[in-house]
Amino acid sequence: MRIDDATIKALSASIKMREMRQEVITSNIANADTPGYKTKRLGFEEALARALDVDGEQSLNTSDDGHYDVGSGGFANLQPEIYEDPNGVVSADGNTVDRDHEMSQMAKNKILYDASVQLLNKKLGLMKYAINSDR
Amino acid sequence: MDLLSSLKISASGLAANRKRMGAISSNIANAQTTRTAEGGPYRKKEVVFGAEPVRESFGDILEGELDAQAKEVHATEVISTNKAPILKYEPHHPDANEQGYVAYPNINVMEEMANMISASRSYEANINAMNTTKSMALKALEIGR
Repeated sequence: MRIDDATIKALSASIKMREMRQEVITSNIANADTPGYKTKRLGFEEALARALDVDGEQSLNTSDDGHYDVGSGGFANLQPEIYEDPNGVVSADGNTVDRDHEMSQMAKNKILYDASVQLLNKKLGLMKYAINSDR
Repeated sequence: MDLLSSLKISASGLAANRKRMGAISSNIANAQTTRTAEGGPYRKKEVVFGAEPVRESFGDILEGELDAQAKEVHATEVISTNKAPILKYEPHHPDANEQGYVAYPNINVMEEMANMISASRSYEANINAMNTTKSMALKALEIGR
């Protein structure tokens, strides 16, 4: 068992990104009455899947010092994507925030965050077990 | 950019809506006020919201993109001047002019009540967001336990 295996990297990346997403959602809720404010979204799932190399194609991975890193390859430079929600309905004052949708997104984000923390704890528990199994 | 700045954003939302509530209650309380320190009838107060990037220090400004994207909300109180006062014919009123008309503030109490409910809902939404952030931060403390 390696101490920096893909599971731990993926889980810590997921926790970090969900903290960022929480900030973006919080900002949307705080600005639900600000004229002209546009709903922001944070996407990291695709970048994480590329970093984990889920499809096995090694796309955008750098395996040699001579390779140019264009980002999103590997965990070292995992960058989320922040964009304005293209599906937002513009209200009379130019605001596109849908409060109920933001609340549900926030609940979902929190549950998945807690799940990541729990999985990380299980993984660390497994390591602790391996360390202490001889005693 | 972390959970603490999420809390800061929610707090800015709470402060903004509290200010809005202050202006609304002042408008309702003074809906019939005909004399003020500035002279003339009370004039309706309005609160304008604006989005501002979360920036705590110079290091934050140098740092990342997210802090420029995630915005705090800041409320500014302005006195609306575009609404002319309502003139009512009450010749015995102490504030009546030579023609016997009294200038009353142009405040629609129904509109203020609707605004008040909207402000209260926004406040609750920000409280909810704050509680979620808080429980996420507490959950993070359980890592490795």
